[in-house]
Amino acid sequence: MVDINCPEGSVDFEEEEFHQQLVNDFASVDLFNDDDPLDNLFFHRVESDQIIYQPRQKRAKLIGKYVMGDILGEGSYGKVKECLDSETLCRKAVKILKKKRLRKIPNGEANVKREICLLKKLHHKNIIHLTDVLYNEEKQKMYMIMDYCVGVLQEILESAPGQVFPTWQAHNYFCQLINGLEYLHSQNIVHKDIKPGNLLLTTDAVLKISDFGVAEALDPFANDDTCRTSQGSPAFQPPEIANGDDTFSGFKVDIWSSGVTLYNIMTGKYPFEGDNIYKLFENIGKGEYTIPDEVDALLSSLIKGMLEYDSQKRFTIRQIKAHDWFRKKHPRTLDYVPPPPLPDSDDHLRCMTVLPYLEDLYMNEQTEEEEDYNDEEIFLGTSEIPKDVEQLDEGPTYIICHNKSGVKKKKKRSVSVRKFNFNMCKQS
Amino acid sequence: MPLFGGKHKTPQELVRTLRESLIYLSQCRDRDDKKAQKASEEVSKTLNTMKNMLYGTADQDPQTEITAQLAQEMYNHDMILLLVTHLDRIDFEGKKDVAQIFNNLLRRQFGTRFPTVDHISTKKQILVILVRGYEYPEIAMICGMMLRECCRHEELVRMILEFDEFYNFFAYVEVSTFDIASDAFSTFKELLTRHKILCAEFLEQNYDKVFTHYQKLLNSDNYVTRRQALKLLGELLLDRHNFTTMTRYISSADNLKLMMNLLKDKSRNIQFEAFHVFKVFVANPNKPRPILEILLRNQEKLVHFLSKFHNDRSEDEQFNDEKAYLIKQIKELKPLDEQH
Repeated sequence: MVDINCPEGSVDFEEEEFHQQLVNDFASVDLFNDDDPLDNLFFHRVESDQIIYQPRQKRAKLIGKYVMGDILGEGSYGKVKECLDSETLCRKAVKILKKKRLRKIPNGEANVKREICLLKKLHHKNIIHLTDVLYNEEKQKMYMIMDYCVGVLQEILESAPGQVFPTWQAHNYFCQLINGLEYLHSQNIVHKDIKPGNLLLTTDAVLKISDFGVAEALDPFANDDTCRTSQGSPAFQPPEIANGDDTFSGFKVDIWSSGVTLYNIMTGKYPFEGDNIYKLFENIGKGEYTIPDEVDALLSSLIKGMLEYDSQKRFTIRQIKAHDWFRKKHPRTLDYVPPPPLPDSDDHLRCMTVLPYLEDLYMNEQTEEEEDYNDEEIFLGTSEIPKDVEQLDEGPTYIICHNKSGVKKKKKRSVSVRKFNFNMCKQS
Repeated sequence: MPLFGGKHKTPQELVRTLRESLIYLSQCRDRDDKKAQKASEEVSKTLNTMKNMLYGTADQDPQTEITAQLAQEMYNHDMILLLVTHLDRIDFEGKKDVAQIFNNLLRRQFGTRFPTVDHISTKKQILVILVRGYEYPEIAMICGMMLRECCRHEELVRMILEFDEFYNFFAYVEVSTFDIASDAFSTFKELLTRHKILCAEFLEQNYDKVFTHYQKLLNSDNYVTRRQALKLLGELLLDRHNFTTMTRYISSADNLKLMMNLLKDKSRNIQFEAFHVFKVFVANPNKPRPILEILLRNQEKLVHFLSKFHNDRSEDEQFNDEKAYLIKQIKELKPLDEQH
């Protein structure tokens, strides 16, 4: 006999009630009062070619007080999904980390621990805010609830014509980056991995510095910002790291990477490239780069100050803030690069993806009444949910089975699988 | 110019009207006489028109040329100084319009230049009057709004920090009217935290003067003042830009004693804020002799006290880690003669 496995973790409170109601419902369906012998109602083998899969229905899933939405992105550690705080109704993002996968990444677990520890202390408009951390020991998963962001600067940049932002837009992002960085440095933190791929944007175009996986908290009593290690992205590393210096100034590493970021969002190119990491580091180590001709003198002097080979002479945040390109008002032009829609979606407005799940959660009664009658099909189904953790996120699988049993009745009620109590058949 | 409808005054005319009415208002003895009332109405009306010119209205966007003319006219006739000087004579709505006009003008930018900032830089009195505005309840909050707008500009903050009047803030944040005190505190905080390096230099150079004043806030009878001051102190000391100031602060035995007393304050919130300053003294790897002596003298008591300190904050992991760390540090303190 087939049994319905309700997926773990899905919302099935009121289930008892549900079934009770279905029992009542069921009696009213004249499926059983058919002229045909009852035998016909028993299950028969269904050939696989006769099975049509219905698109999966969105099923609400709650993690703590957060209602899960669609996937926003995926990384080596797991997924990032949109979610909704059901108490405050704030739109949030949740980073789902799996211990299994973390163990495979070098320093994975340690980095995540450090990241959480650092993020908890940080409160600034331009730094991603960690609202909550939830653990599920059973599933070996960790959920980090953070600000909802519509996109990564890098993705937006890639969607832009010529892979550059208009000046006013780039200037706006850059100023926010510098403000966030100034705060980080004031809190004794060196980010070490500043790049467009780690800068997120909220719906109201506020830039959030994220990914503190390789960040370092300096000793608050140390006289200077000396660092010894760096695990940041190669193309954004300064010469002192490319050359393998034992110690270097941490804050100046972030200044350099911000300089490469500025170069990148204004020209669509990288100042240093190389076919492999050795070539790349060799080129950075030489410190020779060119600024494209279309870059004006003011901006190029800022870039030169930030990509200064000697970290001692490299600009400080104060010098950047005092620089005329930073201070200048760049008039807003009509061109604007918006965050692109999510993959597999054409929603440019990025509406809340939690909505369909909420509908599932609260509007079920209604859909039941609206369910139409279908002459051709009977909905039968099984929902075999593999015990695999991954599958728990999904709803049950629906199987539509064409009725070949020669049932003459014109009207057959299609009954949604979830509400069909198979034990009923058994008893009859 | 619209084809129909009432006469629209030019920016020049507006500024002239405002100027004349304001001067009349400031000179008349009896504010209730008819002429004064008329002048007062005229001032409010003109201010409102100016505001709409700068911000636009529902059916008209601001026009660049007219706003530029208005701003220029204001600078030429020293209108900003005049407005803040006679702010108390202007009615309630008018005062709000003054603040809005002021803030809009401050945000004007051409390339890298802020003309209003340049203008105010040459007229220090404007800032002095705004700071002293906290002494007059009817204009205190309006002045606060304008001052905080000024805080966006490093040049202006530098000027304010150099005034003797800056130290008046230590009194303003303690006044009995709660909303004025908290408004003054947020301005005070903005001045000391907004431009990190400027503030760090200021604290270093004026360390004695500032912290003598600050000490009074920490000893204030006013709970809110004490708590806010303590919180801000923690923020200032833990900001890397203020490294020199922090090192100096945590070398003073008096400061440590004060924090230890605040740890025992009757308010739990004060205790908690004091903890975040106290921890810096203990965590310091190079504790000067006087600090070590105090800690050693109280070694057992402190360990006992801390192990019972806010034990109900079990949710706050960071706090618990820090507390455990402090207890360990204090336990491991070696008497002075054993150290070398």
